[in-house]
Amino acid sequence: MNQILAIFSALLKNWVRSKSGVFFSFLFPVMLLLIFGTVFGGTESVRYRLYVQNFDFENGEPTDLSRAFINALNSTGAFEITELSPTLNVTAYVEENPSFSSYRILIIPKDFQRSTINRSIAAKISVATGLLGYVAERYSKDMNETMINELKTGWIALNQWKSSLETGKNNLLLLIDEGDTAAPVIKGIIYSVVNAFNNRLIGTEEVVSVESKSIVERKLKAADYYLPGYIAAFIMTNGVIGATSTISEYRRNGIVKRLAATPLSKASWIMGNILQQAVLAFMLTAIMIGLGWIVFHVRVHLDVCALLLIFTGAVAFSCVGMVLGGIIRDVEAASGAGNAIAFPMMFLSGAFWPIEMMPAYLQAIAKLLPLYYFHEGLRDIMIHKSPGSAAQAFLVLAVFAIVFLFLAIKITKWKEL
Amino acid sequence: MSETVVVKELTKHYGNIIAVDKVTFHVYEGEIFSLVGPNGAGKTTTVEILECLRRPTSGLAMVLGFDVVKEEEKIKRRIGVMPQDFNAFERLTVLENVELIARIYGVKPNLQSLLEELGLWHVRKRRFMELSGGMKRRVGICMALVNDPELLFLDEPTTGLDPQGRKECWDVIRKLKKMGKTVFLTTHYMEEVEKLSDRAAIIVNGKIKAIDKVDELINTHGGGVKVCVKGGSEVERLMRNLTRNFRHEEEGRIVGVFSNKQEALKAVLQLYNLNEECRVEVIEPNMNDVFLRLVGGRIDERGELV
Repeated sequence: MNQILAIFSALLKNWVRSKSGVFFSFLFPVMLLLIFGTVFGGTESVRYRLYVQNFDFENGEPTDLSRAFINALNSTGAFEITELSPTLNVTAYVEENPSFSSYRILIIPKDFQRSTINRSIAAKISVATGLLGYVAERYSKDMNETMINELKTGWIALNQWKSSLETGKNNLLLLIDEGDTAAPVIKGIIYSVVNAFNNRLIGTEEVVSVESKSIVERKLKAADYYLPGYIAAFIMTNGVIGATSTISEYRRNGIVKRLAATPLSKASWIMGNILQQAVLAFMLTAIMIGLGWIVFHVRVHLDVCALLLIFTGAVAFSCVGMVLGGIIRDVEAASGAGNAIAFPMMFLSGAFWPIEMMPAYLQAIAKLLPLYYFHEGLRDIMIHKSPGSAAQAFLVLAVFAIVFLFLAIKITKWKEL
Repeated sequence: MSETVVVKELTKHYGNIIAVDKVTFHVYEGEIFSLVGPNGAGKTTTVEILECLRRPTSGLAMVLGFDVVKEEEKIKRRIGVMPQDFNAFERLTVLENVELIARIYGVKPNLQSLLEELGLWHVRKRRFMELSGGMKRRVGICMALVNDPELLFLDEPTTGLDPQGRKECWDVIRKLKKMGKTVFLTTHYMEEVEKLSDRAAIIVNGKIKAIDKVDELINTHGGGVKVCVKGGSEVERLMRNLTRNFRHEEEGRIVGVFSNKQEALKAVLQLYNLNEECRVEVIEPNMNDVFLRLVGGRIDERGELV
């Protein structure tokens, strides 16, 4: 045990005094946490920039209805609306201004108010004539002829009124770049506003409604949700990239050979390295949670189960690093191999965004990656306070850790054959 | 004198390559023994087998009475090692690196006296990466001495050092001998062998070409002491009388070769007693001559056989 602690403390001191080691293990994750946290999970809600060009004017002023529609869009809180002058040729403007490339322009056509009111009356007439038709069909046998004639007369009069209405074309036009990743969200919000507007104009009441309720005790912010993913991802990169590079470097510069010539056992060397990675993982967790709390006001639950899962993850990924570092003697090649494994895993596993955002085949790949189980397990414990749900994560990571520990023992050469 | 290292018919194959080929030698207690040869001769493989870092293919290797294959742990506890291209944790201080090795051995030596002995006490708080090449090797030797070993293996301890660093390292190695340690040295520097070693073995292509006390190697294989003289007919006649190994060189120089230093000195005295004016130069053989005569080449600064 004394040997393990001796190696552990030497490795830790050597690492703490390495500027690049500290940068890539702590500062780099912290920078990414701040960037990703601000982009995806900041305390501010997301507001999309939307340009609105209103052509519906009356006496030199925007019509009440077009004004009301813009106010309805504003009231969603999802948009930062900039109104464009109706004299502006937006198509030419978009082409002439590359900075305008990610355009989202909603065009309210001329006569929007008049045709919308007429359409809403026409829609109401359709509802009324439909109702008359239904009554006539269903209850005609209980009616006398006079009543039936009055119904017919009313039905005809309504339809004549409807056909006399000038409904015109009142489609709103949304110009949007289909490559814009926010396009589906923006379209969805605008369609919801349009539907609500239609219902209000026709005078129908909401039949089906959705009530949303958080399934956790307190209100979660996006940063709360993402933090366990960031912690898991950076513990993984520290293990896979960091351990690979350092082990390869220690082999290349002869430190491993020097230690192998002492009574230090191979197991103690491996355990010392694993212990160092585990301590780094705990330090990283503490820093990430502390920073998340200070900057994003995140509140996560940290208990023995979370620490145990972090330890298991650190062991698993540091053993991957030891295996790679044991196989590849060239430091640059080892570092490249670590990067080639860690970065795709980091982005494919859904640590930084929900895997539901990814295509089905990538979701299937994500579920083959140990990092997926690591961040899902951490989220179960740290956010949902449900260690039981993390059982699968424990199992997968434990098996992964045992397999790679075995490989690390096999591959680490303490004696050349 | 008891034997510290016993090697018999030691062989090491790497696939089809024979790195060490039936090597046999002994190292005696308290001596500085050098294994000298060019790069790829099998020096490091041999020494690493003795350090229990490599497994021999066949043959016997005993270190301090223990078998390198079966009694690894006992050997490792009683030897000190400074590997080729020695390195330590570069961001740890000198003291921290030495303490690490002490903790691994589970010993508590007087580190102050050890560091003072090797001239390292004043740099004990400096990080390993900040030291000069010579200092780094001294740290390596210091780390090898932490467990008070009976036998030290120093694999190419001065390779890559500047002349000053090399000289400092030699002083430390001489000190080790005074401390009663047995030193097993590998090197490709002939000068190092002559200045430090009691005995040496020349190894080329995995085979020992010669092994003996350094003086004996030079006397036996050095090709004799050369007396070079520039003079007239009387000088030539005298030289012909004194040695049969006699030749003319350019610019009228006459070279006579004598089997040892005493005979060469006698010849020089007789030359000075002649009435004829002459200029005499005595060239003693060295390990380079030994190597040249045994191997048919010499070793350059980088350790390559040329």
